[in-house]
Amino acid sequence: MAKFLLIYRDSAEPQEAPSPEQMQQFLAMWGDWFKKFETQILDGGDALQPTGRVLRPGGVVTDGPYVEAKEMLGGYSVIQADDYAAAVAVARECPIALIGGAIEIREFAGLN
Amino acid sequence: MRLADELVEHFFRHEYGRIVSVLTRSLGTRHLELVEDIVQTAMERALRHWGEAGVPDDPAAWLFQTARRLAIDALRRQRLHGRFLSERQVLQPAQTTNFEAPVFIADEIGDESLRMLFLCCHPSVPEEARVAFALKTVCGFSASEIARALFLSAENAQKRIERVRQSLREQALELEALNHPWMQVRLTSVHTVIYLLFNEGHFAARAPEPIHVELCQEAIRLGELLVGHRIGRTPETYALLAVMAFHAARLRARIDAAGSLILLDDQNRGDWDPELIQAGMHWMELAANGNDLSRYHIEAAIAWEHCRAPSVGETDWQQLLQLYHMLERIVPGPAQTMNLAIVEAKVHGPAAALKRLLAYDISQLPKSYPLWWTVLAELTQQAGDASQSREYFQRALANCQSPVERAHLEQRLKAT
Repeated sequence: MAKFLLIYRDSAEPQEAPSPEQMQQFLAMWGDWFKKFETQILDGGDALQPTGRVLRPGGVVTDGPYVEAKEMLGGYSVIQADDYAAAVAVARECPIALIGGAIEIREFAGLN
Repeated sequence: MRLADELVEHFFRHEYGRIVSVLTRSLGTRHLELVEDIVQTAMERALRHWGEAGVPDDPAAWLFQTARRLAIDALRRQRLHGRFLSERQVLQPAQTTNFEAPVFIADEIGDESLRMLFLCCHPSVPEEARVAFALKTVCGFSASEIARALFLSAENAQKRIERVRQSLREQALELEALNHPWMQVRLTSVHTVIYLLFNEGHFAARAPEPIHVELCQEAIRLGELLVGHRIGRTPETYALLAVMAFHAARLRARIDAAGSLILLDDQNRGDWDPELIQAGMHWMELAANGNDLSRYHIEAAIAWEHCRAPSVGETDWQQLLQLYHMLERIVPGPAQTMNLAIVEAKVHGPAAALKRLLAYDISQLPKSYPLWWTVLAELTQQAGDASQSREYFQRALANCQSPVERAHLEQRLKAT
């Protein structure tokens, strides 16, 4: 079993916040996902606030977040899976993917 | 701990309205936007937390506590910036009492939403924005859901909501206790908003989306909240509930598999919802207490006549004609005259109905009112004057924006 980080990438474009009704639907989706992959999800992780700071080389601090292209880091979870194919299978059913977000899947290097 | 799908339907939506109302009472309506952001954040938190850990035993209390903590944090931050205390001593212990009360008895839950509903019916709140605002703050719809439900652009929906917020700020209106003496005066406006809400959903059925059925359900829910409180428990509110129930009972039967409208004459009466008809009858009985006779009483009686008729042929048109006469006297207007004429045609033939419509001062018609001309076209057709009928159909087309309705009219025109 290897450990993978699921990195949730949101659109950096400002979007309307989900409505309460949508949130209830998302909640059901998260519930289903956690239940289905109970043994594989090691840490449900968290979502990130949309704002932050970026410390740049040379010690310059700017208002963040660090945005590349059109996506920004929105949250993460940690899972375990046999290989990338199995990790992708878990990610594929994650609500983030189901509602059209991108998920980056990265294996832990295990240096620590 | 329970699973997320065990939450009651529309739980988030309804809790949204309730918590917004409670917090607004503490923070003041000028901070309504902040309050809405806070409730939004609390719900996003719940989303993540409950998805993983399961839904807590008392999800409503969890949400409220979270929102309350977020509000206190927000206030502290604002206070640090020195903006708040001069305006309102919210954090003073004496004033935090209602803020600290996370436990609600069933009665108060309804009250909270009602307070907000009565606020948005304050005379200084622009009337055309009330429905959108009520949907946002009382029913927990998002701007884009409101836009879809009311056929507005999202931007326009947002503007209406903002207009109400602004008038609340400018007039320094606050949520008042429901037993305030002039709340009674505002009850009529509350009825109007609820009925508008219902009709928006009901008449949208030509472009049916689940959200329109939800509008009807919300309107009925608000009506039920209203009769749950002393202030709203009047024969008129019961009559309003009865009208909505009878109409809602027929919602399903109004649309065919392809999504087109089925007219009353062609509806399968077996598809009407017996539970809603039952509820409507119950409310109609309660509405009959006292001497009040409102437009809702008559409209309920009209809707009931249709519901109780086993078929179109067996409908008591004579009785309906009387009811429509009464309705036209209470709320005169082109829609009432038109409905009266339609029933008159059933009882006395098209000539009498045409006479009534042609006598109507058409300068009183709304700017675009294709239905008026469609009815004229149908009646002249019945009277056997095809060329005049075509003329009216063309006039209806010239007034009609909706593509679905245009297609329908063009078809009728061709067949005439």
